[in-house]
Amino acid sequence: MRLFVQAVILGLLAGGVYALMASGLTLAFGIMRVINVAQGVMIILGAYVSYTLFTHFGVDPFLSVLFVVPVVFVLGVVIELVFIRPLRPSEREELSLLVTWAVALGIEGVLGLVYSTTYRSTIPSYANAAWRIGGFAVLQVQVYAFGLSVVILAVLGVVLAKTRFGRAVRGTVQNPASAALLGVDERKVAAIGFGLSVATAAAAGAVYGVVTPFNPGSHYDLISLLLTIIVLGGMGSLPGTVVAAVLMGVSQALLATYISPTSAKLTFFILLIGILVVRPQGLFGAVERGKL
Amino acid sequence: MDVVLSIRGLFAGYDRGDILRGVDLDVERGGVTCVIGPNGAGKSTVLKVVSGLLRPRAGDVALDGERISGRSARQILDHGVVHVPQERSLFPSMSVWDNVLMGGYVLSRAALRRRIDEIVSRFPIVRERRRERAGSLSGGEQKLVEIARAMILEPRVVLMDEPSMGLDPKARRVVFATIRQLNDAGATVLLVEQNARSGLEIAGRGAVMETGAVRLEGVARDLLDNPEVARLYLGSAARSLGDRG
Repeated sequence: MRLFVQAVILGLLAGGVYALMASGLTLAFGIMRVINVAQGVMIILGAYVSYTLFTHFGVDPFLSVLFVVPVVFVLGVVIELVFIRPLRPSEREELSLLVTWAVALGIEGVLGLVYSTTYRSTIPSYANAAWRIGGFAVLQVQVYAFGLSVVILAVLGVVLAKTRFGRAVRGTVQNPASAALLGVDERKVAAIGFGLSVATAAAAGAVYGVVTPFNPGSHYDLISLLLTIIVLGGMGSLPGTVVAAVLMGVSQALLATYISPTSAKLTFFILLIGILVVRPQGLFGAVERGKL
Repeated sequence: MDVVLSIRGLFAGYDRGDILRGVDLDVERGGVTCVIGPNGAGKSTVLKVVSGLLRPRAGDVALDGERISGRSARQILDHGVVHVPQERSLFPSMSVWDNVLMGGYVLSRAALRRRIDEIVSRFPIVRERRRERAGSLSGGEQKLVEIARAMILEPRVVLMDEPSMGLDPKARRVVFATIRQLNDAGATVLLVEQNARSGLEIAGRGAVMETGAVRLEGVARDLLDNPEVARLYLGSAARSLGDRG
């Protein structure tokens, strides 16, 4: 039982970070019907920028988020303008897979040239510090990573629910023609929305590098995980993404504890096949437009 | 006649050719102008061109003498032309309140606050159902919220595309009465309506479209009394529907 509780705690903490990683993917799909398979490489890019700031300038990886987010936001806007906007709306969903995959490979190549393929890790002084709560050991960095993810997701939630821009995003997701008639510039919403979606991934990446060693090819594992999460949650549903991410984190931790860490990587295949058989539209069932 | 919106020689369509083939139409300031005609005549396409959703291939749309055809939907909205489309246009997962706020998307925060008070007093449904998801309202209620949302901008011209479509007779009566009230309060309405009798009855002027052009235009009452129009568009089925609705 003790082992079980420990695994669940670890899984919840990891699931919070997964939720942040995947939320951007959901946002981009909801607004633009773009399946951004470069989301994984954006996480790795965030991890490298944070790693560089830490090793060269001594910037704490959690503080580096303040730099990573705006830089990758601008990169996201540029990617949207240059690579995604020229796609015809009718073909965007399919072609965005190819285009963003090309972007992912390009960024992976550049990262490989700059940093080589050696695994890196951002290791601050408190990397191995742990708290003991009720007899359970919890790594401080994992709690910080979880806390940061929750804060960023909460800010994203408030922006979407309470602001003029958030209403424009939700309006565009639910009924783009109607939003345009009310004066919403869909292209502007798409550019800013895509920038936000990759910026959240990069923020998650900054903390990912503290928790997990990474190299430029690590995005392959990440994108498989993230795609599973958004399919599991129901494509385009933000609450569904959060629930699926936590479910994924806990399942992985339990498998790693009771079977082996290697088999934990199979978790997403098992969950994906299971959910597609039982509930093909995902947990929150947002198969149609309009659920963000 | 004091014309606020003037359409001249309008040609427009989609990929496969023109749907509008030389539309000429005048909309009287402060009145309701109702366009009737069979399916495929191009009625809704006229509204799409006027609101900037569709660019015309030729011809002009002028608002108070200023050419607006070919401009973007946002620019035309800024000129005070608001389009309430035929299909359900609310954001179904958003609350009624957020939907109405979206109507004032282009307004400043202060202007929006000012306008929303008036809209709430004129459309009680906005206050009564403010927290409910728009998608959970009935068809008639949704149409009223759509109209309330359109009125946030105090439009110079409201384009209404088949507001009675899919509504039961009671809801239809409420929607037409609301349009009438808006017009009494000073709004200019260009109404496209399949339910010809009900549309013409609340209109001051009317037009009949066929195969992409206006075939007949005049005072709505005259069109209602026109035997040819009555035979084609106000037949017994239309009459009974109109009488009930």
